[in-house]
Amino acid sequence: MCMKQIIGEPGIDLSSDSKMDLKLTRNSESFHKPNSSNHNLNSFNQASQYFPNLSPTNFLSRAENLQQNLKTKSTNSFEPNLNSGMATQNPPLDWDPHAMLSNLSFLEQKIHEVQSLVQSIIDQQAEFSSRPSELATRQQLATADLTCIIIQLISTAGSLLPSIKNTLLSNNPALRQLVNPDFNNNLKCEGLIRNFPETARNSEYEDLLRNLDNEADWMKEPNPPPQSDIVDANPIDEHDLKESDDGDAEREHLPPGSYIVLQLEKEEILAPHTHFCVICGKGFKRDANLRMHMRGHGDEYKTPAALAKPSKEPGSDAHPVTRYSCPFVGCKRNKEHKKFQPLKTILCVKNHYKRSHCDKSYTCSRCHAKKFSVIADLKTHEKHCGRDKWQCSCGTTFSRKDKLFGHVALFQGHTPALPMDEVKASGSGQGNDDMTEDLGGYNGNFASEECLTSMDVKGIDESRAYFSPMNFDGFGALDEFGRGGFDLEDNPFAFIPSGFGQRSGDS
Amino acid sequence: MCDITAVLTVDLLAQVLDWLHDSRDLKSCRLVSRAFLQAERMHRRAIRPLRLGPLPVLLRRYVGSLQSLDLSSCPSLDDSALSLSIPCPNNLLSVSLSRATGVTWRGLEVLASVCPRIEAIDISHCVGFGDREAAAVAKACWLKELRIDKCLNVTDVGLAKVAVGCSRLEKLGIKWCFEISEIGIDLLVKKCLELRELDISYLKVGNESLRSIASLSKLEDLALVGCEYIDDEGLYFLSNGNCSLQSIDISRCENVTSVGLTTLAEGQQRLRKINAGNCSPVLTSTFVSKLCTLGDTLIILKLDKLQLLASALEIVGKNCRNLLEIGLSKCNGVNDEGISWLVEGCTNLSTIDLTCCLLVTDKSLLSIAACCRGVKCLRLESCVLISEKGLDQIASCCMDLKEIDLTDCNVNDNALKCLSRCSELLVLKIGLCSGVSDIGLSFIGTNCSKLLELDLYRCTAITDDGLAAISNGCKRLKKLNLCYCNQISDTGLAHLQLEELSDLELRGMVRITSSGITAMAMGCRSLTQLDLKRCYSIDDAGMWALAQYTENLRQLTISYCTVTGLGLCHILGSLRCLQDVKMVHLSWVSIEGFELALRASCGKLKKVKLLGKLQDVLSSELLQTLQARGCRIRWVNKPLVFKG
Repeated sequence: MCMKQIIGEPGIDLSSDSKMDLKLTRNSESFHKPNSSNHNLNSFNQASQYFPNLSPTNFLSRAENLQQNLKTKSTNSFEPNLNSGMATQNPPLDWDPHAMLSNLSFLEQKIHEVQSLVQSIIDQQAEFSSRPSELATRQQLATADLTCIIIQLISTAGSLLPSIKNTLLSNNPALRQLVNPDFNNNLKCEGLIRNFPETARNSEYEDLLRNLDNEADWMKEPNPPPQSDIVDANPIDEHDLKESDDGDAEREHLPPGSYIVLQLEKEEILAPHTHFCVICGKGFKRDANLRMHMRGHGDEYKTPAALAKPSKEPGSDAHPVTRYSCPFVGCKRNKEHKKFQPLKTILCVKNHYKRSHCDKSYTCSRCHAKKFSVIADLKTHEKHCGRDKWQCSCGTTFSRKDKLFGHVALFQGHTPALPMDEVKASGSGQGNDDMTEDLGGYNGNFASEECLTSMDVKGIDESRAYFSPMNFDGFGALDEFGRGGFDLEDNPFAFIPSGFGQRSGDS
Repeated sequence: MCDITAVLTVDLLAQVLDWLHDSRDLKSCRLVSRAFLQAERMHRRAIRPLRLGPLPVLLRRYVGSLQSLDLSSCPSLDDSALSLSIPCPNNLLSVSLSRATGVTWRGLEVLASVCPRIEAIDISHCVGFGDREAAAVAKACWLKELRIDKCLNVTDVGLAKVAVGCSRLEKLGIKWCFEISEIGIDLLVKKCLELRELDISYLKVGNESLRSIASLSKLEDLALVGCEYIDDEGLYFLSNGNCSLQSIDISRCENVTSVGLTTLAEGQQRLRKINAGNCSPVLTSTFVSKLCTLGDTLIILKLDKLQLLASALEIVGKNCRNLLEIGLSKCNGVNDEGISWLVEGCTNLSTIDLTCCLLVTDKSLLSIAACCRGVKCLRLESCVLISEKGLDQIASCCMDLKEIDLTDCNVNDNALKCLSRCSELLVLKIGLCSGVSDIGLSFIGTNCSKLLELDLYRCTAITDDGLAAISNGCKRLKKLNLCYCNQISDTGLAHLQLEELSDLELRGMVRITSSGITAMAMGCRSLTQLDLKRCYSIDDAGMWALAQYTENLRQLTISYCTVTGLGLCHILGSLRCLQDVKMVHLSWVSIEGFELALRASCGKLKKVKLLGKLQDVLSSELLQTLQARGCRIRWVNKPLVFKG
């Protein structure tokens, strides 16, 4: 009865993460599962029986939410029309503190019940030996209750966990594989229901995550353990899930008015850190990083609740799609602009504002020419800047000295080229030409790069002399010849391939 | 008169000439006859001209046989002068351009192309040289020996040029080339597999370089002086490398401890020379005990400033029986007992350095005299406890003694009387011994006629008579230090008629005047270095005399003299070999005087020391010209204080 209530309601957003929702909605539309009973639903029904005040809507939405965030297929118990109801523009139904409180009270009550039940089993152990059937009944009752607790616990905590869990597990397949197998085995041997109470005893965050993941696996397990009454679920295509919607706002072609436009102030945009540690004062750009940082300050910050994403203000739930406007009037990204193109995230705003409307205060330490206002841009540039700084005589350039020297060590006869400015400066000096003329008589090998660099276009005919067959008897000349062609951009012999001298020299 | 060559053929003459090492003897030989000149011409392999002027004549005479040309003493050597100085064709194998700051890479390229078979080039101390010069040198592809010490601008690129261009290199010195890093060393090691000697002293390279160097299979001699980034790990690489070192110098490597030295001694079993002076302050006995595994191969061991116990010396004495040289300078623990154990074992010792071993007494000298009769060199500076008794024993037993350093030992005339029995003595240092008087010097003058070097620094009891005795007896003196012997006057200086004297220090001799300098200059024509600092009475007349008579003068210190601008101009303008002048606090010289004098000397000077205040007053154009010609100017800021 309650199920239909949910299913029939079209405007329920089951996830706090709207991006994920879009995806999952699309995916789940293609799944059409025969209606079948499900362990989850059973327990939910049970729960609602035990706790009549509990809102089933919340309950189910939590469960659905959890499952989606675990990147598993939504269980078939949720009908297609439920999925179709999760439209992006519908306001998300986030958790209500009152509902949360009632959930927790329910858990408390439930735990007390199980506690007394187990105590009674212990107390009456002697009697049970004569009546094994009664013991079995009580045990079944206890396990059922525990299962209920687990489900309730997961669904309560589920809304808090997805982001952390995703980063921990979904991005790390190795970890996932590490975590999963023994649990799958356990499931296969003993069945899920028996397994749960054990793991639930661990309140450690990691174990909780593992359970969540395990449950996810269990739910998409193609061959479910025979003991459990889990229905086969189609595994979700991983590729679809991994696609992330990082497109630009203009590609979305959102109709104007379909989203909220926020405009941050300049000071707010340029503030380096917005989250500060209350203990040590260290600033962070992201709250998630602050929360991770807080773990270092003590165990109390390691609890799942402390690590979980803080709840959004109830008011913000009203705005499903938020886009940002640049505070610079006249900018295309400013909301007053005729062809306004909104910015998608706060990070986009920050980068846009710095790039377009701020001084470029970061100068490249290598070329001292390029300037940037976003430090990430500078770092990207610096990776490639100065590429030509280290040059080999064969013309190959390297960004790092050790790379050049590794190259020189590898190839016979290659030498590092002297820095270009020095070559030009000394090559253009007077007296160099006289000197080289003097040398012509001494040694044909004196066709060094200095000669080449010092000659202008008029000197081509003269310099031809340097390339007479005489030059090719020594390796050095060839080496220098090849190099000369590449030391100077407008050198008349620049057309000669760099490997030319080298190849001849090697042969 | 019959032709002597009929009796003495050119071959025989050449064999005679083989035994003549002194330049003066050779000169006498040349002057005998044309035939002798011819023989000498064919015999001579190396020349070292002091000036460029006579070089063309010399080259024409010797070009056929000449193999080695040393131009390091020539002033005003620049590219054009260099290209004219080197004959073509030639058989030159070795050229030294040390301190030739006026030469650039163009000159070096000429050199490399004109001397196709050249095997050794020395361009050390050309502080302005960089990669371009190294690249020019690298064109001499047959090079086996290269010194580029203190070419301050040579970087890894320059070294790589050399490594690739001169792959046959066997000896390489890159001391003080601070820009060279581990990357360059690594490439050098990969390219120059023939390296036998390598000097990377004072480079800022670390252990990784030693790991590369250890792979050089032919390396025998490695100098790592003052490599502060090298520690025990680097020595571990060396001890496990392919090279079998014969000589290693790791002095002043602050981070090397006895652990590293121990591993080195374990791994390199063919080590013959070890210099571990000034390493770490502590030397455990393990290193010394490992030395015994080297045993008989070790011939030179220097352990300066290490903490040594007498027992350590006992181990050395028992195991290293072939030791020829031991350095124990500033080793605090060295005492008579240790020395006696050492010399009992190492009877072949010829050089013993006990500088600042304050515990050493006459007993040590007695045991040295008893055991090491062949000792040639004894350094006993600041061993204040020794007396004439010990020296008497040394002098009577060690007849071969050639060098003794008794600076600051408070020796007296009796000690000199004993020492004068060593007729082979070449070097005698008795600085700061105020007990030495004319009587003592007269013994030296009478008996030690072979003396080449005498140090009388602050022997204040010496007068003109003592100097006369020395000048009359020791005619071969090349080096004489009379600083602060302020009883000596012009009369004493006039006795200095030493034709071979090249190095004379007269600092702080307040009594001498220009007339004394004139008399001295007339007698000592070969002077190349002269120090007249704080000889306040010397004026222009002294400068005129120097300019006229000592034309080979290369280094001159005339700070605090009462020279005027005229005298300065004259001496700087006339002396053709002058390269290094220190002229601080010449109060009588005007700014114009300095300007004119420096202009007059332009092109020759390589080093000038001037008062800092002149930096702003002298014309910048002049200073630029000086620097462009390879002259380095040191500006000194010292107050004008008259002493003595």
